[in-house]
Amino acid sequence: METGEEFGPWLARQLKLTGKSQAELAEELGLTRAAVSAWITKRSIPRPTVMQEIARALGTDIGTVHSRTTDTQAGLPVTWYHRPGYPDGGRDGGNAAAFAFEPDVQVLARETCQNSLDERIRENGRPVRVRYTIHELTGEKLAAFRQAILWDELQPHYAAVSANAAHQKVGRVIDAGVRDMFENGRLVLLRVDDYNASGLTGDDYDDGRFAAVVRRQLESLKSGSSAGGSYGLGKATLWATSALGLVLINSTLSEPHEGRTERRVIGRLELPWRTVDGRTCAGPAWFGRPDPESPAAEVTRSFWANPETVASLHLTRDGDDPGTSFLIVGAQDVAGLADDDADGGKSDSEENGDDTRDIRAMHRRLVAALGRDFWAAMTGGGNREPLLETSVRTLRNDEIVLEEERVDPANEEPSRTRALRAHFEGTTVERLTESGQVAHRFVPLDLPLSGGGRGTHGRHQALVLITAAEESEEELNQVHYMRGNLMTVKKARVPNLPLGTDPFQAVLLVGRAVGDSVPFVNEAEEFLRAAEPPEHDRWGQTDELTLRWSHSAFRRINRLTTEVNSAVKDLAARPKSAGRRPGGEKLGKALVLKQSPAAGSRVRTGTGRPDLQELSAEIGPAGEWRVTAEVKLPRGVELPAMRPVAELDVRSGPRPRLAWAELEAVDGCEVEDGVLRFVPGVGRATFRGSTDVESHPVRTTLTRLVLELRAEKGD
Amino acid sequence: MIEKPSHIPARLGFLAGTAADPFLREELLQGIRGHQGVDLAKVVDPLPEEDPRWRVDPIRDLVDDAMHEFAGNRTQADAWLAPRLHASLRMTRREAADRRLWNHIALAVAPDYVVWRHLPNKSEPRTAPERFRGPLDRQCFSRLWWAAEIFRDGNDYSPVVTAFGNQDLVHTVLRSTWIDHRPSAQAVVRLLEAGVVSTGREINGLSVAINAAGATLLYDALAPDVPRDPEPLRQWIEDATTAPPVSRRHLPDGPDEEPVPKESVATLVGHFTDFFETAPVRGRDTEGRV
Amino acid sequence: MKIYPYKRLNRPIALRVTSVSLRLPDGTRDPLDISAFSTQQQTVALGVAGDAWVSARIGLSATLPPGSTAADAPWSDVRVLAVLSDGETNVRTSARLRQSAPESKDWIGDIDVLRDDHVGRASLEVYAVATVDDVAGRSIAETDTPWVVDAMANEPLRGLALDIQQVDFRKSSREWLRPYADAPWIVDASGRVPTVYVNSAVEGLAELLGSRSGGIENKVHELLVTQMATDVWTAVFHSAVGDLEIEPDGSPVFPTDWQGEVLREMLPYVVPDVHVEEALRTVHRRRTGDAGWVELQTRIHFAAIRRAEVTKSLAGILRGLVQMNQGTES
Repeated sequence: METGEEFGPWLARQLKLTGKSQAELAEELGLTRAAVSAWITKRSIPRPTVMQEIARALGTDIGTVHSRTTDTQAGLPVTWYHRPGYPDGGRDGGNAAAFAFEPDVQVLARETCQNSLDERIRENGRPVRVRYTIHELTGEKLAAFRQAILWDELQPHYAAVSANAAHQKVGRVIDAGVRDMFENGRLVLLRVDDYNASGLTGDDYDDGRFAAVVRRQLESLKSGSSAGGSYGLGKATLWATSALGLVLINSTLSEPHEGRTERRVIGRLELPWRTVDGRTCAGPAWFGRPDPESPAAEVTRSFWANPETVASLHLTRDGDDPGTSFLIVGAQDVAGLADDDADGGKSDSEENGDDTRDIRAMHRRLVAALGRDFWAAMTGGGNREPLLETSVRTLRNDEIVLEEERVDPANEEPSRTRALRAHFEGTTVERLTESGQVAHRFVPLDLPLSGGGRGTHGRHQALVLITAAEESEEELNQVHYMRGNLMTVKKARVPNLPLGTDPFQAVLLVGRAVGDSVPFVNEAEEFLRAAEPPEHDRWGQTDELTLRWSHSAFRRINRLTTEVNSAVKDLAARPKSAGRRPGGEKLGKALVLKQSPAAGSRVRTGTGRPDLQELSAEIGPAGEWRVTAEVKLPRGVELPAMRPVAELDVRSGPRPRLAWAELEAVDGCEVEDGVLRFVPGVGRATFRGSTDVESHPVRTTLTRLVLELRAEKGD
Repeated sequence: MIEKPSHIPARLGFLAGTAADPFLREELLQGIRGHQGVDLAKVVDPLPEEDPRWRVDPIRDLVDDAMHEFAGNRTQADAWLAPRLHASLRMTRREAADRRLWNHIALAVAPDYVVWRHLPNKSEPRTAPERFRGPLDRQCFSRLWWAAEIFRDGNDYSPVVTAFGNQDLVHTVLRSTWIDHRPSAQAVVRLLEAGVVSTGREINGLSVAINAAGATLLYDALAPDVPRDPEPLRQWIEDATTAPPVSRRHLPDGPDEEPVPKESVATLVGHFTDFFETAPVRGRDTEGRV
Repeated sequence: MKIYPYKRLNRPIALRVTSVSLRLPDGTRDPLDISAFSTQQQTVALGVAGDAWVSARIGLSATLPPGSTAADAPWSDVRVLAVLSDGETNVRTSARLRQSAPESKDWIGDIDVLRDDHVGRASLEVYAVATVDDVAGRSIAETDTPWVVDAMANEPLRGLALDIQQVDFRKSSREWLRPYADAPWIVDASGRVPTVYVNSAVEGLAELLGSRSGGIENKVHELLVTQMATDVWTAVFHSAVGDLEIEPDGSPVFPTDWQGEVLREMLPYVVPDVHVEEALRTVHRRRTGDAGWVELQTRIHFAAIRRAEVTKSLAGILRGLVQMNQGTES
């Protein structure tokens, strides 16, 4: 049996939860208050027989008191706490951040993985593992889940929001979500687990990860200076993805809180302002255990749940690796639905003959988004493990719909993954001599002095990696810029590439991404992080950059870009021939034979001529070529007569001409002296012919026939 | 017939087609009067490198001997001159592809030979200008050199002599690209040697058959050749500095390249014989070029 | 339309060059940067390292269309060959490729290119051959566009640049240029590739052609280039139709060198609406026949104008001039 926290603190919390004082407990047990106090202050522990009585007094079993891995179920039960309306009567239309997003699982994937990367436990060098589970519930399973989340308590709140749906955008979304659940009898849960991450540590109310996620609305609490995301906008996508505005959380902590680490559970609901039973509610609500220390002991806080409870909430985690599980209740993917209609999702549903189409689509879109946004973080090589591993699985009523799929970065970004892996493995080359190789080149980033000082603090060496693009790839000849967290901050096409440059893909690693062997790694990382806006989509002028460095500091980044482009050009493209061509560039360009196979053939003026459209041919019994050919006729009354010419293809030079033994009209034409005369207005004509074998210069089975129509009179 | 130019250059050079044009006078083409060579020398670009290979004397001597030897049957001069020209003028194919060099030989070194060899036997004769300044397979000297290059079997020039035994072969076949495959070239010579084909019409027919069947058959796959090795040729060219003039009586040796694999030649001899013997057109005139 | 009397693969072979390395006179190998070849342009430029090399080994990867190794395929003994051919030097060499794995569609290998064997461009193709209906060595698939292996070029560009020479016609060692001393440029189509000689004796001409400045000078520059280009295309077209190989029946053979390319690009404008082969026959008939050659000149001129993109350039130049005038007036 696992051993929970120490007896004293545990007992203190149970008393708080059950609203008993030390004196009251002492009285019930027939002991002095000093004895109880001694337990709580860890000066002594009760005798086993007393344990039995303590269990009875707390309304729990002896096992719970012994193991102390969970709180007693006694005291105030787990429930929903709805924040009361503001005294000033102000109303919110719902959490602005949560509803700023269109529900889109690809955005969710990006934001949640970014958070997980930020919260990765770095010390052990292992990746943070993120798993997405799409789980559709119907029937009994759905009913059981509704019971577990105390749906009956929530129902009036949803009803109140629905009643207002006409006036609020949020209301409409939620109304639709609720109706989907009832009318279709189904509910989609999307669970995001991370492992080997910090977990939601810290106090329920004070600064810390827990409060940042659960209590605050838009706040960032970053773990390190290379953090790419923040629990600000990022966490809002969780709620945005829920059609019910409801997310449940189970976290295993990397550092104990209240002496415990496992199964810290809380739920949070985001609804707009509403009135229920005459009470106004400001918006958010929390699912937890009422905090006896809060006013009227109404405010709920996280609780240490037992395994059965987390199971009923679909929040059971694998093992005791720290990290957090978010369960998005009523997950929706509006962006995906439109997408899915476009990309042939229909055939999918036809094939499977069931209505799992939208969860399958969600699955596919998650896999694609993870590969696209996190290919670098998921790439390892040499003795370096990737920063991130991700997988997606899809279930329905606990049965597998789509097996767990580990996202392979090489699927979405084959060439860049190859580039980064080669970098980790140390197999990059100075210059590319074989396709498939990866070349590297250092480019300088001069870091400015902070505080507005002129001059350079130091020179960091960023690293350009380049390799030939794979055929399947789009958006070619681009550089992905990334720093320590290996998220692509910027994608930029390399301008002014000379003609004939084969498609390539490039990556710029800067700051911690380069590795620790180059100078000014941390300074570069810090500088670029300051230059990164909250959208994480570029490096440039920001307030922070201006404040900490100077107004012109961003120019250092422009210079880096210039260096990168010239390095890429140098590696990927041969520099324009040295020395200027006589006659100048313009004349030179004007005097080039294109040599393109598509060039020429024919120019249509609209008048058109009869032309061969179909040809079937076989060798007859005497070794003659027998052909049946269809001629497409242009509109027009006067069609030129055409002579069918049979020749044999050759290696080079003139083609031997075959004589016709027979030539006859089938349809739409007449044959006269070996010439076809067409019936105007019929659109197409067919003729038949066989060659005179005596004109064949070689055995017919060894020949390739060429049939042409030639104008009888020149032009 | 015309006299050789009074001014013959000491070294070969480049004569551009456009520069050569004014010297292709009617009186030259008709064999009435040659030129002195002085004005021509002014429009010649010198060859870039000081190389003993570009001395004119050995070539001039060869053509003089040829005109003397074959005065009675000038067509037969080809079979004699081709291997000797090839062995005297040791070049890479890269160098030999430059028509300016051949223009120079024809107009500055031996215009008299061109007229001697190619002036038709008829009234109002006129030498075709392409014999002076034409495609490699038509120009008086380049056709000899290139035929020697294409028909030699490694260092053995004897197939070249056989090939020139029938003017139609060189004339018809040199222009086709299938002959560039060495085993194919040797196989055709073998057919000529064995008498499978002998008349001009037969040779044309065979050539057309090989050319047409080559649109579906890959002779390179049926009859593999050895890989090309650049060294023997480079060595042979280097030896040009010390090599004595080519023998007038015996065939010279070519560059010591690997001969064509015998099995490959045999395979193609079989195929080509089959083409020829099963051609439906036999007994009739073909569409082959005259 | 063309037709084979036996079963073949329906789609072409895809060929990629994967590496190029040079063998130097001292026997060492020098791998070239991959920028020496271009998959887009399907061109290998062997001149990037100058001329101090003996041979080049080109690494190849060919992908056969689906069906080549099917169990029920109507052929056996499939082999894949790379063939390098050069019409200028009559070189034809081949190399067998090997299947990268049993049942694989990918065949890999390499082929050597000797520097002594080529002046300019060779063509690299891949053939799949098999025994079909008991006939061995039949081609069942090929590459549709050959790769160009250019022994001289230092950039892998497929387009063949005409030669441009800048010389003083009065003082040139090429004495034949002297009669043209007061012409600003002339075209010589008799060489390997057509050459444009720009007369540097014409003061300011070379400078104008070499300039990169804007304004009115730029407009004049562009105008001059279109004028020269029109001249050049007219000249090379005439040269191409004047130098045709003729079949016994009197019809012309489509040339395979630069002349063929000139014809392919310009004939569609000279004789519209028909295949280039037929257009060539028409042009040849008119040139050698009794009538119609004079009338065709207008169309040849038109084709040259199209090829030189005169209309497009002129529109730009005129627009620029208008803007320039408005600028000076206001």
